[in-house]
Amino acid sequence: MNYSMVKSLIWKDWYFQRQAILLALGGAAVSFGIVVFGGQPGFTIGLILLITVTVMISAMTMIGNTIGERENQTLAFMMSLPISYVEYTTSKILGNLLIFVPFWLTVLAGSLALILVSPVIHGFFAFAIIMAVEILVSTCLMIAVGLVSESKGWTISAMITGNLTLNIVGYLVAHIPGIKEGLYGSAIYWNSTATILLVIEFALIALLLGGAFFIQSRKKDFI
Amino acid sequence: MSDLSVEFDGVSKRYKYFSLENIHLELPTGSIMGFIGANGAGKSTTIRILMGLVHQDEGTVRVLGHQMPAAQAAAKLDIGFVSEDMRLYGAATLKWHMDFMRPIYPRWDQSYADELARRFDLKPQQKIKGLSHGQRVKAALLLALARRPRLLVLDEPTTGLDPVARVEVLGELMAALADEDRTILFSSHNTLDVEQISDQITFIDRGRIIDSDDKEVFLDRWRRLRLILPPDVVVPSLPGVVEVGGSGRLPVLTTNRFEPAMVSACNDLGATVQAVDTMTLEEIFVANVHSRRERLTA
Repeated sequence: MNYSMVKSLIWKDWYFQRQAILLALGGAAVSFGIVVFGGQPGFTIGLILLITVTVMISAMTMIGNTIGERENQTLAFMMSLPISYVEYTTSKILGNLLIFVPFWLTVLAGSLALILVSPVIHGFFAFAIIMAVEILVSTCLMIAVGLVSESKGWTISAMITGNLTLNIVGYLVAHIPGIKEGLYGSAIYWNSTATILLVIEFALIALLLGGAFFIQSRKKDFI
Repeated sequence: MSDLSVEFDGVSKRYKYFSLENIHLELPTGSIMGFIGANGAGKSTTIRILMGLVHQDEGTVRVLGHQMPAAQAAAKLDIGFVSEDMRLYGAATLKWHMDFMRPIYPRWDQSYADELARRFDLKPQQKIKGLSHGQRVKAALLLALARRPRLLVLDEPTTGLDPVARVEVLGELMAALADEDRTILFSSHNTLDVEQISDQITFIDRGRIIDSDDKEVFLDRWRRLRLILPPDVVVPSLPGVVEVGGSGRLPVLTTNRFEPAMVSACNDLGATVQAVDTMTLEEIFVANVHSRRERLTA
């Protein structure tokens, strides 16, 4: 693996997505502002905005970096560089995650901080972590589908599926015994149910990214 | 070390509606091969296999001593590639592209890149999306040449260029040929462009290589013989005749194995050779394709 080449490709993707990243950071800052200063309705609106901004940045970077290269015919230029398709795939997965994860971590840390400073919603702690990781799962689903299909339509479908799944998972997690009992309490709790859910989510992430890598390595036509 | 820069041996690639069959192709180091075929003949597929971007179903491909597609990353370090459907990043400047590529290629020659930018009248600070088609092709060519590649692969680079830009691009390619160790594969359906710079010619049609030889050999061995036949004389049977045109008593024979002795042979058989016409590469290509297609349908 030529890591220096992978690094160059990631840097390139960051460079072309810098406006989207700044826009999303701005959106996140506004959302936090609404959450902090908007009272009870602001908390809900701000949270929805935060999730929207988080999903938006993952979609924008994936479509811009990967699908856009095919649509704008810059993929041929990229693939003329001394890289293998494994290095290309690695750079796309890492590149998209390195744009998304710091942002996602910031949003997660902010959300947890908000929960921690408001004793009445301490019970949301485990739920917030599980749902934040679910957003990461949705992002990985979109990255995997985008890379494998190289199609905007399929990528958008994956994004919609991820969002719908997020709502369903949110509802289910909130009603799972072991989670729902402490959800509206004022104490922070963590139990084996929460751990199992997190393990399942990370296993899904590994499966999605590993599967995308496996399929990509078996592809025969890249352009 | 092999003196072949490109070596295809029995390469096949099959799609639903098109297949490349049993391609044998050898490109000696330092040569310039014109790769000619109609649209959809298989030029781009062959080139993509050469670049490792498409994997062959059968056969072996070696490029600069590297097995393809397995060692494509190492091979591409020494390849400059420009294709008609290749685009640079519109939101970035030419300078950005040069800065991006410089650390990737150990032999990157910035002074040559700057010189090419001047000769092509390109402004490095200008964004690619603001360039005309001709300027974009020149920019791509600049980026391919400045990496000082051992092999230059050009897939229809002159398509869509205006005559002035075409002459400039071809001129720069010819200047690049001064380096005797550089090998060039130049694909086009424009035989005039290919004829200007190539020393070897390969014709491809419907996924098969139909002929490959030195350009001069092609130009020497292909002729059109314009005959006058007396009423009782039939068209003489000559070697290598691929096409018989003209009218009954004024036939025109196209041969791919012309020898001066053919003229006296025709005279001996009672026919008068009115003229022996040389053929352009385009005429040779078209006659070659037609004769092959007729043989296949016969």
